[in-house]
Amino acid sequence: MISVDDAIVSGKRSLDSRMEQLSGVFSYEETAYHLPVTYALTGKAVHTANEAREAYQATERNPLVACECLVAAETAARGKEPAPYTGFIPDAVLRTLGYSLVDGSILGLVLVSGKPPSPDAAAALCRELQEKYMLTFLSGEIISSLGEAGVKVGAEYRLVPLGSRPSSGIHFIDILARVAMMFGGVTPGDAGRLLSYAKERAKAISIVFPGLSEEETAVHDAFRLLGIPILSAGEYEGEQWIRVSPADAVKTGMDLKGIKVSVTAIPIPMACSPAFEGKSIRKEDMYVEFGGGRSPAFELLRCRPEGEVMDGMVRVIGPEIGDLKEGSAVPLGLIVEVAGKNMRREYEPVLERRIHNFINYGEGSWHVAQRDIIWVRISKEAVARGVRIEHLGKLLAAKFRIDFPDLLDSVQVTLITDEQNVVAARKDAERIYEERDERIRGMKDTDVDTYYSCTLCQTFAPNHVCIITPERPALCGAISWLDGRIAYEISPAGANQPVPKGKEIDAARGEFEGVNRFVKKASHGEVERCSLYSIMEYPMTCCGCFECIALMLPEVNGFMVVNREYKGETPSGMSFSTLAGTIGGGAQTPGFAGISKNFILSDRFLQAEGGISRLVWMPSALKDELSGRLRQKLAERGLSSLYDQIATEKEAVTIEELAGLLSRTGHPALTMKQLL
Amino acid sequence: MALSTLADWTGEIGTVVLGASRKDGGTRTASIVIGGERDLPYIGNPPSGHKPLIAYELCDDPSLWPAPVTGHLGDITGDPAAWAKKAEQDFGPDLLKLVLTSTRVRGFTDPVPVSATVEAVLQATSLPLIVEGSIDPELDSEVFRRIGEAGEGERLLLGTAEAGRYRSVAAAAMAYGHLVIAQSPIDINLAKQLNILLREIGLPHDRIVIDPYTGALGYGFEYSYSVMERIRTSALKGDTDLAMPMISSAPDTLSVKEVREADPARMAEMAVAWELYSMLPSTVAGASVVCVRHPSTIRPLREGIDAFWEGKGEEGR
Repeated sequence: MISVDDAIVSGKRSLDSRMEQLSGVFSYEETAYHLPVTYALTGKAVHTANEAREAYQATERNPLVACECLVAAETAARGKEPAPYTGFIPDAVLRTLGYSLVDGSILGLVLVSGKPPSPDAAAALCRELQEKYMLTFLSGEIISSLGEAGVKVGAEYRLVPLGSRPSSGIHFIDILARVAMMFGGVTPGDAGRLLSYAKERAKAISIVFPGLSEEETAVHDAFRLLGIPILSAGEYEGEQWIRVSPADAVKTGMDLKGIKVSVTAIPIPMACSPAFEGKSIRKEDMYVEFGGGRSPAFELLRCRPEGEVMDGMVRVIGPEIGDLKEGSAVPLGLIVEVAGKNMRREYEPVLERRIHNFINYGEGSWHVAQRDIIWVRISKEAVARGVRIEHLGKLLAAKFRIDFPDLLDSVQVTLITDEQNVVAARKDAERIYEERDERIRGMKDTDVDTYYSCTLCQTFAPNHVCIITPERPALCGAISWLDGRIAYEISPAGANQPVPKGKEIDAARGEFEGVNRFVKKASHGEVERCSLYSIMEYPMTCCGCFECIALMLPEVNGFMVVNREYKGETPSGMSFSTLAGTIGGGAQTPGFAGISKNFILSDRFLQAEGGISRLVWMPSALKDELSGRLRQKLAERGLSSLYDQIATEKEAVTIEELAGLLSRTGHPALTMKQLL
Repeated sequence: MALSTLADWTGEIGTVVLGASRKDGGTRTASIVIGGERDLPYIGNPPSGHKPLIAYELCDDPSLWPAPVTGHLGDITGDPAAWAKKAEQDFGPDLLKLVLTSTRVRGFTDPVPVSATVEAVLQATSLPLIVEGSIDPELDSEVFRRIGEAGEGERLLLGTAEAGRYRSVAAAAMAYGHLVIAQSPIDINLAKQLNILLREIGLPHDRIVIDPYTGALGYGFEYSYSVMERIRTSALKGDTDLAMPMISSAPDTLSVKEVREADPARMAEMAVAWELYSMLPSTVAGASVVCVRHPSTIRPLREGIDAFWEGKGEEGR
C-alpha cells in the first residue's frame, strides 16, 4: 500500500524544488489559451520560467500549475513524444470535442493513469468506457498495456493516448480548463468560476492505477479541487481517494458524477411502441394468461436504496413459458424495483401505474387493471417468435429507464410464476397498497406548503392556470398533486410548476398570497385572485378539459354537477356542452367551476359555500359511479340521508321539478344561508 | 399617425447581433442588430427597437424548392454561391438564408459537401447569413458540426433547434460562435421551454432567436400570428425566457393551392402576393426577421415595413 497523503507531501516538495530550478522559454502551439490551466486560474499568459514561478506563487503553489509549467518546459526542450502519443491537444481539435460533449454524442471525460494489473484488465476497462459513450484519455503505462492486449487507441476510438508518463495527465486538465473558457464563459483569471464550472458542469472522472511518482500523485490529488473524483484501482490508500476494483471503477465514477447512459433499444423479440397500446389479445389468440380472476396475480413497484438494485436484471422465479401449457392461466407476481437519487417513496404508485401502459406497448402482451386485480396475457404469435415471461421484465426495465431518465438510475424486475411464492408475496404487496391508500387519503392541503400548477392547456386556453392540491386534483381528473410533483421533477421547465402557497388570505375560500401571485403571472396578468375552495368568489379558471361542471342553481340555493358523458338537459336549462362553451377558454366565471369527479368527494368541495350539503343534483350515471365512496363520505360527515336527497335526471330535469322535489325531501340546501 | 400604447410594459426584448465583420473575426461587411423593443411593433414615433429585416431564402438542392421560384430564376438555382451573390446584388435583402435542402432529401448520407456549400456562399457574399441544416437527429450531429466549422467566426444564425433535437444546433453555436433559431410548433409554452433548455445547456439568451413556426396565409397563419402576439406580450410583461427577437418564415407559402394552381400567367403575381401578405403581418405580430423566397416580394415588403415604421399607415398611401 502506498500512502497517498505521504506521497502528496513529498511530491509537493519535489515540485517546489523543480519549479525553483525551472529555466527557459516555453509555450504550446495552436492554442489561444497559452498554458491553459495557469491562464484560467491566474489570467496570466505564462511563457518564461520567471512568469511560471510567479503564477505558481500566486496560486499558492498549486500542483496543477507546477505540473503544467514543467511539462510545457520539457516539451519545449525535448519536443513532443512520438506517435501514438498526442501530448498537448490543439484548440481546433478541442472545439470538436466540446461540440460532442454539448451535442451529447459523448457523455463524459475520463482520465486513466498508471499501469493496470494486466493487459486484459486494461482492455476490459476501456471497452466498458467506449460502450458507455465516455471519451477516455490515457496517461502512463496503460497505453502499452492496451497495445499488448491488441486494443487500438486514437481519437477515433475515443481512447486518446496523451503520453507515456502519468504526468501527461495534466493535458486532461488543460482540456477541461479550455472547455470552461470556450463553452462555459469562464473568464481567464476567474478561478472561482472555473472551479464551480468544473464541479457542476464538467462530467469528468479520474481512474488511477499504480505507477504514479510522488509528484504525479500530488498532481492527481489536485484534480479533486475541480470536482473530479479520484478512483483508486489498487495500491493507493488515502482518505479522499475512492478505492474501487477495476471492474467497478467506471460505474462508480459515472454514478458519482451523475452520468447516465440512455437506453434506446429494448432487447426483446417483439415490437414495443405506444402504437400497440390499444390492441387486445382475445382468448383464442392467447398463449398464456395471468390473473383476471383465474389465477392469483399482482404487480408492485418499490423504491429501493441505491446499490440494492442491479440495473437491467430480470429474474423469473418459477416456470417459464416453455414449461406452460398453451391456453393456461398461471399465477404472476410482478415486482419492479427501482433506485435513483431523485426517486421517492411517494412516487411509487404513479410509476406503478405505468406498468399498465408499458406492457400494452408490447406487440404481443396485454394488461388491464392494477394492483392485485391485474390481468395479463401473452399472445400465441409472440410466443412463436420467442417471447418469454422474462421479456416482460426486460421491456419494463428498459421502458422505465427510457421514460424516467432523471428519476431512475436503475431498474430490476422479478416475475414470480409459482403459486405458493405469488400468494406469499401478494400478502406483502397488499399491506403496501393499504399503506399507500392511507397516505393518499390522509394527505391534506394543510400538510404541504407547495401546490403544483398545470398550464398544459394554455395552448388553447391561453390564460388558464390549474392549481393542483392534495385535496383538489386537476379539473381534468388526470393529474393529482403527486403527479404534478413528479412531472416537475422529471421536467423542471415543463407545464407543472411548484406553487408556494404563501400566506393565507381566506381560509374558507382557500385563497393564498402565493397562489394569487403565481396565477397572476402564469395567466399573463389576466387573473388577479384565485380561490381554491369557492365557486362563488374568484373561482379557478377553466380550460376545456374538466370532467364535470359544478354550477350554482339560485332557485334552489344549491349546486348541481354534470359530467361530460351526460348528454341530456339539466335543471340549469343547459346541457353539458352548452355550459362548457360558456365557461371554458381560461375565463373566471363566478358561480361556475370545472372540476374532476374525485373532487366531489373531497372535503374541500364547496367548502366556502357550506360543503357537500349544497349538492342538489347530478346525473344518475355519475351518482352510480361514485356511489360507494359518496355514501361513505356522506356517512363520515353525518349526512347519510343526503345521498337519496341528491336528485338525478330520473327524478327531475327542469328547475321546477327539482325545486318541488327538494322541498318534498327536505334537502338541507333549501335552509342554508342564501347564496345570493 | 403615430400609434401609442396604453399598456405599461415592464419587460424589454433583448438584442441579438447577426453576422460578424472583420473587426469581430468574421468577413461580413457589417453586423446587424435586431430586437430591443420596449413596446408592440410599430408603436411610437419612432417605434422602439430595431426595424424588421428581410432575409432572402435560397437552397442547395432546388428539387425541394417551390416551382414559382425555380421557374423564375432558372439555372442559377443549381449553384447556391452564384444564387446568393445575385440575390445580394440584385434583390436587395438585408440578409441571406441558406437552407441546406440537400440534407432533407431521402437517403442523404454524406454530410461532407455541406462544409463546401457554406464556405462558398460565405465567400460569394458579404451579408450576414442564416443557415438551416438537417432536421433529423440521426444526421444533425455531423451536419451542424460542419456548418459550425465552415462558418467559424461569422456569427451565423443556425436553424433550427427544436425541443426534441436542439443539442447539435446549440453545440455548433457554442463551439464556433454562432446563434440559434429556436423553433417550436406554434405553442408559447414549448417556445419558452426550449429557451430554458437552451439556457441550461449553456447558450446565453442573446444568442437565441425564436421561430414560433409560421403557417401560410389561409393555412394556419392566424394561429402563428396569435402565438407571436402572445410571446411578445408575455415578454413585454416581463417574461425574460421569451424576451428574444422572433424570426418568421412561411415555408409553405409558395406551395399552397392558390399559388400552385394559379393561371401560369399570374403565378408570379400570386406568389409575391401570398408571401407579402404572410410576411408583412408577421412583422405586425412582432417578427424581427421575415423570410421570403420570391425575389419580387422584397420590394413591396420593404415598402410596407417602411410605411408602418414611419407611422404612415393608410394616409401615407
